Amino acid sequence: MTLTREKIQNEILRIFSEEFEIENPGLNDNLREVHEFDSIDAIELLGEIEILLDSELTHDEKKQAMDIRTINQICDYVESMAKAHS
Amino acid sequence: MERRVVITAASAITPIGHTKEEILSSLINGVSGVKELRDDGLLSGFIHSKVFGTVDYPVEYDFERKYRKTMAPVSYYACQVAKEVIAQAGFDRKLLSSGRLGVAFGSIHGSPTVQREIYKNFFSGERSKFSSIGAVDYLKSMVHTTAVNITKMFEITGRIISSSTACTTSSQSIGYGYETIKFGMQDAMICGGADEYDTTTVAVFDNLLACSTDFNDTPASTPRPFDVRRDGLVVGEGAGAVMLEEYEHAKKRGANILGEVIGFSSNNNGGDLILPNILGITETIRLGLENAKISPDEVDFVSAHATATKMGDVIEAQAIYKIYKDSPFVTGLKSYMGHTMAPCGAIETVLTLYMMEEGIIAPTLNLDEVDERCSMLRHVTRIIEKDVRIAAIQNFAFGGVNTSLIIKKFE
Repeated sequence: MTLTREKIQNEILRIFSEEFEIENPGLNDNLREVHEFDSIDAIELLGEIEILLDSELTHDEKKQAMDIRTINQICDYVESMAKAHS
Repeated sequence: MERRVVITAASAITPIGHTKEEILSSLINGVSGVKELRDDGLLSGFIHSKVFGTVDYPVEYDFERKYRKTMAPVSYYACQVAKEVIAQAGFDRKLLSSGRLGVAFGSIHGSPTVQREIYKNFFSGERSKFSSIGAVDYLKSMVHTTAVNITKMFEITGRIISSSTACTTSSQSIGYGYETIKFGMQDAMICGGADEYDTTTVAVFDNLLACSTDFNDTPASTPRPFDVRRDGLVVGEGAGAVMLEEYEHAKKRGANILGEVIGFSSNNNGGDLILPNILGITETIRLGLENAKISPDEVDFVSAHATATKMGDVIEAQAIYKIYKDSPFVTGLKSYMGHTMAPCGAIETVLTLYMMEEGIIAPTLNLDEVDERCSMLRHVTRIIEKDVRIAAIQNFAFGGVNTSLIIKKFE
């Protein structure tokens, strides 16, 4: 399955809605400040991204995600991980 | 300086009801909350005891996800009763976050549901490809999960005490909360305990041949504290909480005072971790009275631990008689709901407060024929009207831990 940018964004928004009860966040919203998305949520999100990619992320790859603050940055990250794991 | 400690709110989620009215109605009408053990798809098929003290009614929760994400079923129970005692006491956020209010709350082993899910994921291979342990699984299942989820939800910044001493968990919570206020470390404490539906605990007692099995077809007929046909305990679930408050603090803000904690004791048998010990139990009863500075004949009612095991009830009856003779009325409240484990002491305290306020004492359910070895006590076998001024709530736990709480009608 090819993960296009559009599909990634839709999946991330679905995960935010279903798993984090955050509806229609702005793509550049600071998730921590605007939606109280914390470090625990970030770890949970990484688990969801692993399922989306159908691939396990390494420790270093997970650490790279810790500075991410927006939906757009999450989509960038998933895109790069998809490439790295293809 | 020793300060007076009063109770300004109480709440419980029990197999016989949630509201005060529901619980009193069950006590007055002899309604049992013991039901058939639910199939858990894992252990229930191997357990000989097929009964469980079940919360089988819906509890309305309105917790936001930011709180829910670190909560297992045990914390839902805990946060709900905490929420209710905070509302009932009339505390605002300022007081909750003042550092002068703390939490003493526990469960017997955090959340077995979450722990079970971790291993299920891991061994089934469902998620072993990725991580079988979620980011919040520890926060949900750790032994002090109830206490800290309460602090998170209500932004409480005071002391945390999280006893986890099996069946004395919440009686210690109340006792240590009482001491914390009495000696000036806090002005108020939310105290209690909770335990969720869990067959692991049933399996443990089942393996020790301590669970009731003779009444699998008639769950409401068991447990039978002090009865000649008793055949063991029934595990249950639920939660109980009280708000303890320094008397002048409560008086100043015009709080409704439900009762007063006047004494507490806790000791250990100093030996066997399972067998009941008459010396240890007698001593904790004596120490409780000493702490309350009252004589045995001032106690009107004893809420016995009375799990309905063969020897436990006999030893407890002997200990009660040794200190109190046949002066106080005695009821085993677990006869209504089984042994809820961690919250039993708090639930029995809440029920005792309700009965005190109502001017009644509920009988021990299923006590049809008193075992002659327990017959020296003043058992309550039918509902009676009685103005209870002072009551003792006693609890004993695996590990040889004993507690006695002494509460007084507020005067």
